Parts: sequence; C-alpha cells; structure tokens
Amino acid sequence: MTNFIDYLLGGFSSGAVIALMAIALVLVWRSTRMVNFAQVGQAMFTTYIALTIQQQTGNWLLALVVAIAAGVVLGVIVFFLVIRPVKNSDSTGAIIATFGVLIALQAGAGMIWGGDPEGFVPPVDNSGLEIGGRIWPFSLYDILVLVVTAALVIGLTLLFTKTALGLSMRASAFNPEVARLSGVRVNRMLITGWAIAGGVGAVGGILIAPVSTISPTSFDILLVFAFTAAVIGGLDSLVGAVTFGIGTGLIISLISGYSDSSNAPVVALILLALNLLLKPDGVFSHHGSRSV
Amino acid sequence: MKYVLPLTHPLLSTENVSITLSGLKILDDVSIGVPQGTVTGLIGPNGAGKTTVFNIMSGFLTPDEGNVRFDGKKLKHIKTHHLTKMGISRTLQGVGLFESLTALENVMLGGSARVKSGIVADSLGMPWADSEQNKLRSQAMETLAEFGIADIADRYPGELPYPVQKRVAIARSLISDPKVLLLDEPAGGISASDMAELGRMIKSWTPKRTVLLVEHHMELVMEVCDLIWVLDAGKVIASGSPEEVRTNPAVLAAYLGEEVSH
Repeated sequence: MTNFIDYLLGGFSSGAVIALMAIALVLVWRSTRMVNFAQVGQAMFTTYIALTIQQQTGNWLLALVVAIAAGVVLGVIVFFLVIRPVKNSDSTGAIIATFGVLIALQAGAGMIWGGDPEGFVPPVDNSGLEIGGRIWPFSLYDILVLVVTAALVIGLTLLFTKTALGLSMRASAFNPEVARLSGVRVNRMLITGWAIAGGVGAVGGILIAPVSTISPTSFDILLVFAFTAAVIGGLDSLVGAVTFGIGTGLIISLISGYSDSSNAPVVALILLALNLLLKPDGVFSHHGSRSV
Repeated sequence: MKYVLPLTHPLLSTENVSITLSGLKILDDVSIGVPQGTVTGLIGPNGAGKTTVFNIMSGFLTPDEGNVRFDGKKLKHIKTHHLTKMGISRTLQGVGLFESLTALENVMLGGSARVKSGIVADSLGMPWADSEQNKLRSQAMETLAEFGIADIADRYPGELPYPVQKRVAIARSLISDPKVLLLDEPAGGISASDMAELGRMIKSWTPKRTVLLVEHHMELVMEVCDLIWVLDAGKVIASGSPEEVRTNPAVLAAYLGEEVSH
C-alpha cells in the first residue's frame, strides 16, 4: 500500500506536464482540426532556448518567459510556413507536414545544441519532501509544476469562457463561415490558437526538462502520452486533456513502479486503442464533432 | 409605394453581376436594388440563384463580372468579417447557430466585432476587457429579452425548439445594429402563427433598417415586401410591387409546376 501511494504521488507532476502537452494538441485541434505532431518538437526547441538562458543568467523565471514567447512565435511560424499552404490543399498533407517540422526541429536543435542529453537545473529543490519522519516521492519542484499547470489551466478556461476572444476562438473552430458573418476574423483566431498552443507547449517542456534531461528527441515519448490523453479526452476538450493527462501520468507511474518504465508507452497505446474501439468520440467531446 | 426602375439610389444593389460556378452560369447580368428603409423580396424557383446573390453580397463568392454597391460605395472584394462593421447582417438558411455555444453566447458573438479590447488585454484578463465583455453580455441579454426568450439564455441550441433557435439566430443578427439585414428563408420550418409574428417583426424594423428577404413562403413575401425581384435561372425576369409581380405572366410561367400560394 505504501508503494502504491508512493507511485501515485510520483505520477502527478509528470501527469501535469502530459496534460499541458495534451492541451497544446487540443488547442491546435480546436482551431484547425488537425493534430500537430511537431508540438513536442516546438517544446523541445524552446526548452533548449530556456536552457541556454538559464545557463547564461541562472534566472529560471526569465528562461520561462522567453521560452513562452519563443513558443508563441514558433507556433505562428509553423502555422504560416507549413500548415497554411498545405492545409489549403489537403489536411492529411498538413498532418504529414507537421512530422516534417518535427524532424526539422530535431535536426536543427542537434546542430545548434548537440545531440547529448543535458541536465536542466530546477528552480527549487527536486528531492523528496520529508514529512512525518518519512521521505515522500513528492518534491517542492513537483508542487511548483502543479501550481504552474493549475494556473495555466484556470487562465485558459477563463480566456475561453469569459472573454470575447475566447468566444470568437470557439466560434471559429466550430463554424468558420458563420463566425465570419458575425464579424470574427477567423484566420486571426486560428493563428491565435496555434500561438497559445505553442506557449503552453513551451511551459510543458521547461517543466519536464529538470526531471527528464533534454536532448533533441527526449520529448518524443511525451507525444505518445499527450496524444493518448488528448484523444481519450475527446480532442476538443480542455477538461478532457487535463483529466486524462494527469490520469495517464498516474497510470505510467504505477506501471513503472510495479513493472518497468519501458512498458508504459505500450500501455498508453493499448488504452488509446481501447478508447477508439469503445468510445471513438472521446469521453469529453461535444456533439461527436470529431472525424478521424 | 411605387418604384421606378432602375432605382436611382438603392442602399444595397448588385450591378450587372455574373458568376459561373463549376461550368454553370448561375447568375447572368443580375442587377437588383434594395431601396433604403424597405423590405425588398428576392424570389424565384429553386436553383434560380437567390442564395448565390446573398453569397456574393456577403463575400463568400466573388462575381466574375459586375459588383455590389452599398451606401453609394462600390465593393470589389468583400471581406466577410467586415460586413457587420459596415452594417450588413445576414442570417443563414436553417439556423446556423453554434451548437457548442449557449444561446446567449451565440448572440454575444454577433456583437463581438465591436468589442475593442485586443488579444493581449483579453489574454491577461485586463479589467477593461472584462467590462467590455460585460457590456456585450448585458446587451445580448436585452436582445434576447426583446425576443421574449431571455429565459433560455444559458441553454444550448440543440436543446431548444426550432422556432426558438430561429429567434436566437435573428437576435444574433440584430445585436450588431445593422443597417441592412439579409434574411435567407427566415420562415423555413416554422408554424403559421410564428410566421405571422415574423412578418410583423420584419415590418417593425423598417424604416430604420432595410431588409432583403429570400423566402419561399409567398404569403409572407406578399405581405411584408414593398418591392420584389424575381429571379429565374440566374436572370431577373420581373420586378415591382407584390401586386405587379403576382399578376406578371413571366413570373407565373417561371413558377409553373410550383404552386404560388396567395
């Protein structure tokens, strides 16, 4: 039982990061109805930028802010350079193009920063907290990760439900023609979706880096988990992405604890397959608007 | 009222508009005008090109020849998202509501183009963005109340009866305070009593607002329109008062096989 609680506790912060990456995938899905497989590549790239800044200045907050800005810019660049021209002809082509972007980003990062895994120093202590005479597998850094994630999720929820921008973005995703008739600048909303997704992904990358080390391909596995969480959550639901992101984190942690961490991706894919067989619209999807 | 054709200063008009889609000439040299402050009807058998006229006026399609003129200005490339700012509002066939937004949010969206706050202020939750949003929200509530449906503000369109959805759609098109309303079959699928009320409502908007109405229900068209244009196979075949159009042999011929209800 002690083991179980320990494994569970250990899964929360990685679950939070999976949730952030899943949110990024959902935001892109909502705006352009496609999955951006380059999302983790963008996060990897901005995390390298953050790493450079932290190595130069030692300032984690500055690194975070610059990484978010870079994530936003990168999101917009990917949208304009790759997605928009391809999307106009064929959306399957656009999805494949995102794989191209992923590979290009990984190659670019390898050329700039080298291929060796590098450590990322956490801003606060990452060793287990000692409470009640026992060391728990839960650190100050895990708390920071959860707080940042919660703040971001609340912020995004308010943005989508309480602001005109959020309203316009939801409308654009659902029916661009009618949104245009209502005076919404739909293209701008699509770009905004990609930009916010890039920023959220950047936060996810910088939060996971101290736990996982960073290399051009070290986030690839995150894509598997985030994609699973996003799809099971219904692809267009923030609540779904968060719920199943954290859920996936917990499951991975339990599996890694009781068996071996290399089994985790297999289990994630089995869950994905079961979801597609049993509830292909996802658990939190509205009105079955998904077409895979 | 009697209109001498061609109209001298219509508020909204098409000038010699032609368009070919997929090799078919959908509109052929169509010139119609909507005088300020009137309800003008656009009728014709199925496939006559009525909705295409709307699609050109709302920027979904660009004509091969000719142009749209609004308020004296020639519009060459119409940007759809500019329409509400210009003062043109369009409803769609069916209802065209956002299923994942509440009735209130649907109506708010119609007025969102006038909200000034930008992306940055919105994302950071700036107080002024908030107050603009609240203003829009209360305005949308008022509009729903005018239509007698304030109680369903937080319901989703899928949960509402069809006639109520139609009212929400019209409320959305009115909240931007348009000069011109383009109504695409507003009476489709509603009952006779609802239709009578719709007729009174459309009449009550004039002369402050101008209406261009595409409608299959002839009784509604004949009742509310000051001027009617008749399209058949992409060409204007007649125009005039409801009485003139009703008795026009060319119109009767075009509708042959389709019943004209009086």
